Amino acid sequence: MAKEMIAMLLAGGQGSRLYALTQKLAKPAVPFGGKYRIIDFPLSNCVNSGIDTVGILTQYQPLVLNEYIGNGQPWDLDRLHGGVHVLPPYQKASGSDWYKGTANAIYQNISFIERYDPQYVIILSGDQICKQDYSEFLKFHKEKGAEFSVAVMEVPWEEAPRFGLMVADESGRITEFQEKPKNPKSNLASMGIYIFNWDILKKYLEEDEADPESENDFGNNIIPNLLRDNRKMYAYRFSGYWKDVGTISSLWEANMEVLDPEHSGINLFDEDWKIYSRNSGMTGHKINAGAIVENSMITDGCRIKGCVKHSILFAGVKVEKGAVIEDAVIMGGSVIKSGAVVKHCIVAENVTIGENAVVGAMPSEDENGVATIGAGITIGDNAVIGPKAMVDKNVEGGEEQW
Amino acid sequence: MVNSNTGALGIIFPNSYDSLVPELVNVRLMASIPFASRYRLIDFILSSMTHCDIDNISVMVNNNYHSLMDHLDSGREWDLVRKNGGLHIFPPFAEKTSKPYTGRVGALASILDFLKDQKEKYVVMTDTNVVVNFDFSAMIKAHIESGADVTIAYNEQKLPDALIKNQSNDKGYYYTLDIENGRVKKIYVNAEDTGIQNFSLNIYVIERELLIDLINTAFVRGQEYFERDVLLPHLNKLNVQAYKYDGYVARICDIKSYFDENMKLLDDYNLDALFSGSPIYTKIRDDNPTRYIEGAKVQNVMVADGCIIEGDVENSILFRGVKIAKGAKVRNCVLMQGTEIEAGANVEYLITDKNVTITSGKEMKGTDTFPVYISKFQTV
Repeated sequence: MAKEMIAMLLAGGQGSRLYALTQKLAKPAVPFGGKYRIIDFPLSNCVNSGIDTVGILTQYQPLVLNEYIGNGQPWDLDRLHGGVHVLPPYQKASGSDWYKGTANAIYQNISFIERYDPQYVIILSGDQICKQDYSEFLKFHKEKGAEFSVAVMEVPWEEAPRFGLMVADESGRITEFQEKPKNPKSNLASMGIYIFNWDILKKYLEEDEADPESENDFGNNIIPNLLRDNRKMYAYRFSGYWKDVGTISSLWEANMEVLDPEHSGINLFDEDWKIYSRNSGMTGHKINAGAIVENSMITDGCRIKGCVKHSILFAGVKVEKGAVIEDAVIMGGSVIKSGAVVKHCIVAENVTIGENAVVGAMPSEDENGVATIGAGITIGDNAVIGPKAMVDKNVEGGEEQW
Repeated sequence: MVNSNTGALGIIFPNSYDSLVPELVNVRLMASIPFASRYRLIDFILSSMTHCDIDNISVMVNNNYHSLMDHLDSGREWDLVRKNGGLHIFPPFAEKTSKPYTGRVGALASILDFLKDQKEKYVVMTDTNVVVNFDFSAMIKAHIESGADVTIAYNEQKLPDALIKNQSNDKGYYYTLDIENGRVKKIYVNAEDTGIQNFSLNIYVIERELLIDLINTAFVRGQEYFERDVLLPHLNKLNVQAYKYDGYVARICDIKSYFDENMKLLDDYNLDALFSGSPIYTKIRDDNPTRYIEGAKVQNVMVADGCIIEGDVENSILFRGVKIAKGAKVRNCVLMQGTEIEAGANVEYLITDKNVTITSGKEMKGTDTFPVYISKFQTV
């Protein structure tokens, strides 16, 4: 039974810029938005777009991700034919290899793709927050008679040099690709989401693999090769919310934007485009008398006795009496003890912040760092964590870290 | 043990005591009444059973069971999609002569062939109007150790006024136990005694073969009630043991107790007592987290996911997807899934069923002793 289009989701990234958050888990498994993980977004997009076969390419610290994906049931991806498959590098008769680059990761799984005999393959990235209808994208690809299409976002010209840019003519046909150029000729940034005709993708993957000089990367090798051969390549403009959450500050910012869907455009309250996730199974959250909760998102299992302002709390967070949380992202199972002040920061899962400890600070003129506390860390009573700190070891009571 | 699972199968009677809460079961049955902000009553028994490795569970639905079928679906949320055992829903078998059951005997008689085919040695039977995080393994162990024919779980509490005062005939039977050295000497039906009683939880452990025999005999004689007709007259022959349960118990006896038992969970002590055991599973709705918008004021509330709160809420239980608009004031309410309280509305002591809307500026107040109930899909 052939599938029209299957998805390959690149989830092997280490996410080294998220450092303390990705010590023990891959970037796509990083929690986001109160009850999700980053990978919930592309997976939910797939299901909502009618794609029922997804290969997830993992490499770095896959344990949490593997367990989280499981049989794919929370995303309705437990299917008889297709469904979700986690694809780590594996050993072959001819030897074994880590995924050398994004293109090589797909190359090593050509036989997986061929089992479904698809006409099209969509390549997705596991480190973006975006709600996108891939069926609209495919429709565009077919209408253009394209062999390759890439989703692009218009970005401000002054920011364009930070991105891979697609130069396209009036019809949307791509004439040139510029990777982080000093003098941009376009402000259409690649979102790293591609649709290929499978026969074309396979041909170029095989050719790329045969080239010992290649970095086996889509941006650096495959796309330039397609251009060289004057293939039918089109840029598909996407105008919804899209954010690469590869850095601490962008991850924090994206979380804060969830609190303001009216302005940011990232609306998780959309009944027609639900984002699915594995459920915590905890009871409803509880806000005690004397607590203050303003402009925040709170989910199951939380117990709030202190003050929470403009923050996102994940499942099972406990905020004791007298604790103050502001502009913060507090991930699942963390405990903020009484009198602690936690501001403008990211606190990962199962962290304990001791009594009267201070973590992070609201931005001042020359300082707008987002303090980050890694998973499972204990911050002792009366400890002080500065706004630039990246904490990946326990901090004793009364100590300071900047 | 592939074919014996763990030695006990479960049978749940989801319609028991429906008549105590006529308002709430208008469009559903006891088992599917929403409780504690995100659950339905049956979730507690089902989760308790699966945690005790009881994974062959039959639900004897009688009437009004669409909501329960929708809730249970394949049983996946409770890990009850099994090759051996799993979840079975048994509606009354439609024949010319058949009618909905009035008691357990009729229900069980209709599945005798099924029961004969099962491999488990014991049967655990329960209703769903009692909310417990129950350790069935401990009770089965006690049953085996005592050598009992039947074990009945009970707790020590006063009989609820709702049961004593309600003198109509349709309240259903409830049972109190006279216990001597652990053995049940007498079963009282619809007693009106004051003070602490040994109040049956209607949770039973019995050997499957014995249950089949007892039901066979009773059904032939046209008897209906397991307790009144099967156990009570034979207490001298059957070794019926009492099993005291000390854990948290919430009993739904009328709409007032439904309101009170929800409200009691606002006390952390009670909440922990009910939920600190094994996790309770329920149907997943994939809601986003609850959003508190600028200007929201909340004190002493339990809230499920998917709510949007802009107003002022105190001492209330909010189920999934409730919306409280700006300037709305909510006090001492139980608001079920999808309730909307529009701007400026002022409500107190209300129980709103699913998808009720209180339009802007309206004022609706019940009292401490008489919470007002508003039925499903009503707009005030």
